[in-house]
Amino acid sequence: MAEAGKNEAFARGFWILAPLWLGVVPFGLAYAVTARSAGLSLLETQALSTFVFAGSAQLSAVGLFATGAAGLEIVLTTLLLNVRHVLYGLSLGRELSLTRRQRPIAAYFLTDEAFGVVSAADERSFPFVLGAELSLFMVWNLATIGGFLLGAAIPDPARLGVDLIFPLAFLAILVPLVRTRVELVVAMASGALAFGLARVLPGGLPILLTGVGGSLLGASLSRRTPPQRRIDPDDAVSEVA
Amino acid sequence: MTFWLTLTGMVAVTFGSRYAGLALQTELPDFWIRFLHFVPIAVFAALVAPSLQGNRAEWGIRVAAAAMAALAAWGTRQLWVALAVGMAVFWLLRIPF
Repeated sequence: MAEAGKNEAFARGFWILAPLWLGVVPFGLAYAVTARSAGLSLLETQALSTFVFAGSAQLSAVGLFATGAAGLEIVLTTLLLNVRHVLYGLSLGRELSLTRRQRPIAAYFLTDEAFGVVSAADERSFPFVLGAELSLFMVWNLATIGGFLLGAAIPDPARLGVDLIFPLAFLAILVPLVRTRVELVVAMASGALAFGLARVLPGGLPILLTGVGGSLLGASLSRRTPPQRRIDPDDAVSEVA
Repeated sequence: MTFWLTLTGMVAVTFGSRYAGLALQTELPDFWIRFLHFVPIAVFAALVAPSLQGNRAEWGIRVAAAAMAALAAWGTRQLWVALAVGMAVFWLLRIPF
């Protein structure tokens, strides 16, 4: 693929995530304010956003730091919250051909949001995925430093209601994915299961368990393998040529 | 020091989770290919359902906003339109009468 084509794919990925900035910014600000009040320095607050780059895990970690929890406890909570990414990687890995060098880069910046918009888009290429991933990474890190410097002047996102952006975005991503009766059954059953599990289990665990349970249900109910949505401009070119 | 050690652990488990799935490049039996097809559907339903409730006593208007956003997503297939519609409905219904 030509260099210009790669840049365009990167830009498309970058901008396809832009509507979510509206939800990322207040969330990032809230995280930084919480981290600051938990006694973390600017460097520590920023390091979590840059190196861990996982909103819900960072928020729960700073909460645990504030209570003086043991490091091991914080790491295990992070694992529980983030192990769902194994499923995203498995799903993306099947539809996207990555080189050995691209894989760790695509993995480092992987998030719920990037996985979501890429799943819903018709485009599959490394520059496109990286554009979407870095779009979120950039805004998350800018919001972190902004939130730390602005401090307590920032209103609570839940009070403004902007915390609703994320479920709305995930719903908007989900709707076009549901095309068959089995897919509808899986979506409804998964929603109900997650709702129930979220009342008794912490953070990421209901998502992981529902991801596995819902997909098992779908695989059992469908007899034929769905057509694979592997769209790679490189493949298309080589097929034409 | 404890902080940086903890951070290293957090990076290890987070990157490990993100990399594990992508790195696994093996031929899978049919059942597991179908399984992976349903992963985004199950996961996004799981991300939506519990967080619609919210912390305050406004689950009714959050569900109403979500219903309109879903309709907008169905009609336009545009993420930003669905978000704009959902948030507009939410903020309008939130104005106390």
